[in-house]
Parts: sequence; structure tokens; C-alpha cells
Amino acid sequence: MSRSIPYTSSPLLASRTPVWRSKLVVAAVAIGFVALAARAVYIQVVANAFYQRQGEVRFARTLPLPANRGRILDRNGLILASSVPSPSIWAIPEDVQRDEGQLKKLASLLEMPLAELKRKLENEDKTFVWLRRQVDDPVAQQIAALGIKGIYQRKEYKRQYPEGEAAAHVVGFTNVEDIGQEGVELTFEKDLAGRAGSRRVIKDRLGQVVEAVGEEIPPVDGRDLQLSLDSKVQFFAYQKLRDAVLKNKAKAGSVVVLDSITGEVLALANYPSYVPDKRRNLSGEQLRNRALTDTFEPGSTMKPITIGMALEAGRVTPQTLIDTSPGRFSIGGFTINDTHNYGTLTVEGVIQKSSNVGALKIAQKMSPQEMWNTYTALGYGQKPQIQFPGAVTGRLRPWKTWRPVEQATMAYGYGLSASLFQMAHSYTSFAHDGEIIPVTMLKSDTPVTGTRVFSVQTARAVRKMLEMAAAPGGTGPLAQTLGYSVGGKSGTARKQIGKGYASNKFRSWFTGMAPIDLPRVIVCVMIDEPSNGQYFGGAVAAPVFSEVVQQTLRIMGVQPDMAVKPQIVTAVEESL
Amino acid sequence: MTRLNVVLLLAVLASALYLVNLQYESRRLFTELDKAGSEAHRLELESERLQLEKREQATPMRVEKLAREQLQMRTATPAITHYASYADAAVVDSGKAGTTARYETRESAGPVR
Repeated sequence: MSRSIPYTSSPLLASRTPVWRSKLVVAAVAIGFVALAARAVYIQVVANAFYQRQGEVRFARTLPLPANRGRILDRNGLILASSVPSPSIWAIPEDVQRDEGQLKKLASLLEMPLAELKRKLENEDKTFVWLRRQVDDPVAQQIAALGIKGIYQRKEYKRQYPEGEAAAHVVGFTNVEDIGQEGVELTFEKDLAGRAGSRRVIKDRLGQVVEAVGEEIPPVDGRDLQLSLDSKVQFFAYQKLRDAVLKNKAKAGSVVVLDSITGEVLALANYPSYVPDKRRNLSGEQLRNRALTDTFEPGSTMKPITIGMALEAGRVTPQTLIDTSPGRFSIGGFTINDTHNYGTLTVEGVIQKSSNVGALKIAQKMSPQEMWNTYTALGYGQKPQIQFPGAVTGRLRPWKTWRPVEQATMAYGYGLSASLFQMAHSYTSFAHDGEIIPVTMLKSDTPVTGTRVFSVQTARAVRKMLEMAAAPGGTGPLAQTLGYSVGGKSGTARKQIGKGYASNKFRSWFTGMAPIDLPRVIVCVMIDEPSNGQYFGGAVAAPVFSEVVQQTLRIMGVQPDMAVKPQIVTAVEESL
Repeated sequence: MTRLNVVLLLAVLASALYLVNLQYESRRLFTELDKAGSEAHRLELESERLQLEKREQATPMRVEKLAREQLQMRTATPAITHYASYADAAVVDSGKAGTTARYETRESAGPVR
């Protein structure tokens, strides 16, 4: 018998299939479809938001659009501070290839010993290690070119200060996050920082941006800030100050240069200083902006103000005779001395010889209230109206509490305190024909309006006295310059230590202006604790004043107002 | 009727394919635009860096040092400066007489950016 039977005659076909079986299959398929539909509904409707979000997390990215920090410029548009890219290098230690040669190259690029680099990469559990923050851009490119696995870069910005230590105290600096910490960087942080923007994009598998989603928030770059500083004047002032501090073995020094017409600060320098972008081992001594944060008793530099107010009140004229003999004066149990017995001096002579007795006798013609009013009008005991962190107020007690001896000592600058900046500011009243003008750190084109403190005549009379004081026969002949007439007052004060005055610690300064008939600049110099034999302001600070004035006026293009014996008379003369 | 349907089907297919192509192209171009944008940003920063470097090479400190040491120059004083007003410079035909004054003003004004 054949084993095969034709399909049609198969006995299996003959048996009747139960109906429930086919129904079961249909039902199973139907259930399958229903399940699919339900799942689809769940995904598309019920959990739609969840899936949308998950999808977005996987391909959509919000990219920050960093704002550039504004630059700080000097009055001529030269850069004083600017941000440049400066990537930070980091590593995932366990991913780093241990290739001796490559690591050696990396270590030398990072300027660290190979051992230190290895130590940093030792701990393999760590997933993130900074190798060096903020390297220079070209170095970072070289590091990237090495192509070591596990070494990454993070885009960061670093502030650079081309003027370095010369302008450090004014410009200040930012921290590693590019946020202002000191100086103008701190004061104008909001303007300089700008506002970062962002945008939402879709990235593909390779990390390339393929589409922007939604609206882009554009970044707002920080505003460029133009200071009133002139970097040349600033540099020369700093240089001369530094030389003088070193020469006199002094502790510190400050210099302020003001434009006496516009009230702009042309230079403000302190020594010791620091390099703003290399701030390791920085001390508070270096950091302090002494011209604004240190107050001291101004000493003899106050005398012109005393005389100014007596002239203004009509109590004296420049030719009034004051008897200063015997060079001593006792008041309230204190004795006030002059360095010599000058005998009878005119009011002009009191300034010229810097007589303490003369100044106090003139002050006694005034009431404490009158004196207080003038001091206050000149900004003493007031916070300087300048946008700068840490500017101090100084001390001027209310006039009702003054004792007679205090009124007397204030006449020659003891018993009240002020910063060098306040002193420079108060002298604008003489330089600006009796008006005290507001000072500013920012370049300004608008003419200033001052507040009148002295009349034009008084201001001129005091300027004449200042000129005499800075001339041979006065206390500061070393302030003389070549070609420019100068006027100024020297000052030497014992430093107050604890309750009394130190016998061997002095502060010397010189405050003056030039050219004296129509002053363009006010220069204030302060040298702290000169200890190389000389300590008188006329000997220590006046030479700095002279050099700074000379350079500043030349840089400003001011024509000399005094005849100078020319030292070159050659081809130029012939061509005329 | 059938022929019209076939034509329409083909048109739909063609349009769909064209859309796919267009979408691809738009993404490709966007990527390129993005790259160009970041390149522009990079160049901007590079230019900033170079400007700064240029400025660092021309600080008064360095200029003074080079002038003194390499060129043996000395600081100008009024004694060795011939001052001429603009009026004089206009009268004298050549620039010789006016050189000093012009130099002085230029020096004090020179904007660099």
C-alpha cells in the first residue's frame, strides 16, 4: 500500500473542525489589535507629554549664548581690560591613555612637572579633575592637537590687563568666573557683564545642530566703558611714584592727577601695586587703593584752604601782616611750633614759609562754624562723589564739639583727616577759579558746573601764594618744571600711632597745579614713611610732582607758559 | 478615471519625496549656518585677542624702554621742543615748522581701535 494518500482524500479533512477554534483565532487576533490600539492611545494621548519630554531630552538642547564682557578703555580708546578666550583643561582620569611621551608633552604645555600631572591623574575613581584653569588660547590649541583621550577643554574667558600694575588699582580685576572683584571692574559690573542669552536647538546623532526650535534669546554684550584715565599719564605717574618710593625707602605712595577743567581723573596710581592677571601671593598692602581708602591728617596742605576762607570772609588781605614770633604759640596747654622763627610775615608769607603759628592766628579770626562750613563745602568729612568701591569719608567733627586748640590745629591740617583724593578734589576750588567741581572716573564731554566756594579773586590770590610757595624761597622749589609755571603746597605730617604722634614716622606730600594762571591739571603726591634721610614734603614729594606735571602737560599738548632757554637752535630756526 | 488617480498618486509621491529632500537640505544648510556662525564668533574672539596682544606690545612701559635702550632716545622737554601754533604752520609752506605742534596734538589724541 502506498504510504502517500492524495490531499483531497485525507481523512483529516473529513473530520469536522469545531467552530470555536476558528472563533478563538479570530478573537485572539482581535485582542491583539485592541491591545495595539490601546497602547497607541496610551502613547499618543494619555502619556503623550511624558514621551514628548523624553524625546526632547534626547535630541533637543538649550545652548547658552554667552555675552562678551565689555572692555575697559582709556580716554583715547586704548584697551585697559579685555576678555579673551582662555580654555580650562580638565580630565577624566580613568579614560586618559598612559602614554609617557604624550603625557610629558602635556605636562610641559601645562607648565607643571610630570610628577604633578601624574598625581592629579592618579585617582581613577574621580570622573573630573581640573588640570589647569585658563590657559592661553594658543596653548589650548596645541593641547587639543595632542589628541590625548580623556583630556577635555572647557570654554572660559580670562580678563587681560595690558597696562599691568600701572593701572591696577583703578581698573581692578575679575575672578575666575569673570565677575568684577575690585576697582572699576567691580563698580561697573552690571554694565560690563552684559546678559547671556540662550537658544533651543535640535541636535542630530553626531551632535550637529540641525534645527532651531522656538525663539532665540540673543545675548546682550557688556557695554564698553571709557574711563577718563589717560594711560600714558597713568604710566608716567606710576613710574615716577615708584622711583620716588624706592629712592626714599618709603613704605608706600600715591599720586592723583585731575584735569582741573573737566574734573576728570587722568591718573590715579599707588605703589606698591600688583599685576592684575597674576594675582598669586597678593597682599593687602599691594591691593589697597591708598589714594581713596587711606585717610590721614593733611597737615600743611590745608593752610591754603584756611587762608582762602579768611580772604573770602574779608578778615585778611594777602598783604596783612601776621606776627609769628617767637615761632611758638601756646593754646589750651599745647605749644605749637614753627620750624624757624619767621618774625612778622604777610599772609602770603605764611603760605610761602608754611608757618603753623601764622596759619592758626589767621584761623582765630574765623568762627568754628565758618571753618566747618568751608571744609564741608570742599568735601572734607564727606564721601567723595565718585563711583569707586571703598572710597572713604575721612573725619571732620561737627564744629560744636571743637575745642579752641582743635580749631587752631585744623588751621594747619591736624585734627581732621582726609584721603589724598579728597585733597586733590578740594584743590579744584582754587584751580577752577573758586568753584569746586565734581570729579569723575568716566570720560565726559559735557562741561562741568561747579559749586562756588571762593570768589574768583580769592582763588587767584591763593594761586599766587601757591606759586610763591613752590618758587625759590618757598617750601617746595623742587616742584618747579621746565616751561610750566606751577603752584603748590608741600606738607609733612607726623604719623599718628595709637594715641600720640610718632617722632620718626612721617607722611610727605605735595599738592599743586599747573600752569598756575589757567590751571589744566592738579597733581597730588603722597609718600608714606620716607626713611632715607629726607622726609619733608618739599624734598620727597615735590620732585615727583614736578616730573608728573611736566610729562602730563606735554602729553596733553599744553604749550609752556614760561620762556625756556632753547637747547636746540639749528635747522628749525633757519627754516623759519 | 483610473488614469487620473495614477497621475495624482505619482504627484503625491513625488511631492512627498521632494519634501523629504527639502527637509534634509534645510537641516544640512542650518548646520552649515551654525558652523559658520561659531566660526565667526571664534574669529571675533581671535581678533580681540590679537588686538589685545598688539596693545600689550605698545604699552607706554615697553615703548619707553625700547626708546631709551635700543634707540637711545630721551624724554622731550620744552627746552628741546619747538612750539608752533597752527597759524604759523599755515603761513610757512612746508610742514617743517609745524611738525612739533602737529606731533604734539596727534600724540595726545591718537585713538587706536
